Amino acid sequence: MSDVSIQLTDIVFRWKPEAAPVLDIPELTIVAGERLLIQGPSGSGKTTLLSLLGGIATPQSGSVEIHGTTLSALRGAQRDAFRADCIGFVFQMFNLVPYLSLINNVTLPCRFSNARRQAALLSSPTLNQEATRLLGQLELDTENLAGRPVTELSTGQQQRVAVARALIGAPPLVIADEPTSALDTDARHTFLDLLFREVNNANATLIFVSHDCDLSPRFDRTVPLTSINQSA
Amino acid sequence: MAILGLAFKSLLNRRVTVGLTVFAIGVSVMLVLGVERLRHDAKASFANTISGTDLIVGARSGSVQLLLYSVFRIGNATNNISLQSYKDIASRKEVAWTIPLSLGDSHRGYRVMGTTSDYFKHYRYGNGKLLAFVGGKPFEDVFDAVLGADVAKTLGYKRGDHIVVAHGLGAEGFSKHDDKPFVVKGILEKTGTPVDHTVHVSLAGIEAIHIDWKGGARVPGMAVGTERIRQMNLQPKSITAFLIGLKSRLAAFRLQRAINDYKREPLLAALPGVALQELWDLMGTAETALAAISLFVVAAGLLGMLTMLLSGLNERRREIAILRAVGARLHHIFGMLVLEAGLIALAGALLGLALLYIGLLIAEPFAAAEFGLTLGLGLPSMRDLALLGLIVAVGTIAGAIPAARAYRQSLADGMMVRV
Repeated sequence: MSDVSIQLTDIVFRWKPEAAPVLDIPELTIVAGERLLIQGPSGSGKTTLLSLLGGIATPQSGSVEIHGTTLSALRGAQRDAFRADCIGFVFQMFNLVPYLSLINNVTLPCRFSNARRQAALLSSPTLNQEATRLLGQLELDTENLAGRPVTELSTGQQQRVAVARALIGAPPLVIADEPTSALDTDARHTFLDLLFREVNNANATLIFVSHDCDLSPRFDRTVPLTSINQSA
Repeated sequence: MAILGLAFKSLLNRRVTVGLTVFAIGVSVMLVLGVERLRHDAKASFANTISGTDLIVGARSGSVQLLLYSVFRIGNATNNISLQSYKDIASRKEVAWTIPLSLGDSHRGYRVMGTTSDYFKHYRYGNGKLLAFVGGKPFEDVFDAVLGADVAKTLGYKRGDHIVVAHGLGAEGFSKHDDKPFVVKGILEKTGTPVDHTVHVSLAGIEAIHIDWKGGARVPGMAVGTERIRQMNLQPKSITAFLIGLKSRLAAFRLQRAINDYKREPLLAALPGVALQELWDLMGTAETALAAISLFVVAAGLLGMLTMLLSGLNERRREIAILRAVGARLHHIFGMLVLEAGLIALAGALLGLALLYIGLLIAEPFAAAEFGLTLGLGLPSMRDLALLGLIVAVGTIAGAIPAARAYRQSLADGMMVRV
């Protein structure tokens, strides 16, 4: 488990050329399979860091390397494709597309990534069965929930659907952005248990971003953003 | 197509606003197709006002004017033509039949036209249809009259009724030929042509009511009784115009030239088809205006669609951010919005087509009965389809406006929208 999953080198990022840098990270290395908590208060550049990792934004200098691919060397559409293939995202809330069914929300990444479609079809005969399987693993009762609009699900249920979506097609990297901050304490721990178990099953690297220090005992490593980001 | 399904489901999710937009476009499309159809059918009906007639001959004026007074019973002849000229031309070997027309009198606002029984044998309209009788038969006696369908219906006449012909064309002509009433002998079926507004009598009838008139007024003390009139020579000295049917249509141009060069009297021969076309072209401006208005209505419908798509974008930032996060490229977002616009325009176009046929089915019997207008229920013409295609294309292209906005928005938002 010592393969490097993510390597950030000499990252400097500004939203505007004349503005002060939001991020200035000389180095951050994350090994494959690691469960990493990036902890920091709001405004410390968490969202910006995730944008860089997702390839939505590119740093003005330095390189972002994920699984041997240097993101900053790719063009916009290639970065989009890379994101689709390699990263599953879970956001704080409102993770689901309101007009898609439960199952279609889970299989959504397979519409945009052939790699994940193929990977999903390796573990189940159809995409829908794979979605149902993942939802079952996350202890969601698909039979009861499938017919209902996803907007009627509870926040905890929605977050678990988002995890299933992030995991379908086994991307090597799962990024969760404050996924538990909308949940109460009990639901938070249940959610983390399920998330860890499934990320583990999928052999994925997990980057978990939160302002909450209490979660850190549950992670392999906690990196306070303020300690690596020199402009914070 | 990763995004076609998404676009479709997204629209379905907003079915009320989308439905209303589709309906608005559908109504506008129905309007534009309806106007187009009506224009075509009206033109066809118009062109079929008279058929089977090869030449119309009258005193020299313009062919449109000749057509107006001889066929449409609008306006007056500048001059009459002598019976001599008529007989001369009618006896030419290439002429199969002629119908003399004598106009100038009216009955309660409807034109009275003197003619011969050949009118009922040879006058054709529409697709070569002959005049048919609802009841009764052609005039035989000097004082028999045959009414057009609208005359009988509006004035409530039935066979055997007596009618009085007024001199001149005023609705309430003050000088009436009231000493010589006519008897309704027959009533014609609805044709949708000016025949419906005409009271037909024999040429002799026209002559008879004018026998004791001179210079547009009754000669005092010269009243002649109807019985005596029947004994008199009622051969008219002049007629207003006449229609010619030829043995071979090929002779039409030659005969037309011969009549136009007629030495004894200045005459004009017009080809009905050409004159009808000229007359229709005169109305072209109104026609174009109507088509332009209906196109503006479609533009308004499409603008409504743009408004809906644009105003919905802000609420969809989250949805678009999610799509971006799971790997949608910017061109997917752009394409989804364009597709949504295209689907709405397509649905609107199809709904419009459906509404058109429903409308035609409802209006068809009414239009036929009231206006004699035959509405085509046939399949959409190539022109209709081209128009529909154009509307869908314009709608889809217009979708680029909200799409470009969503594109820029998504570029700025990335995957994260703080709600």
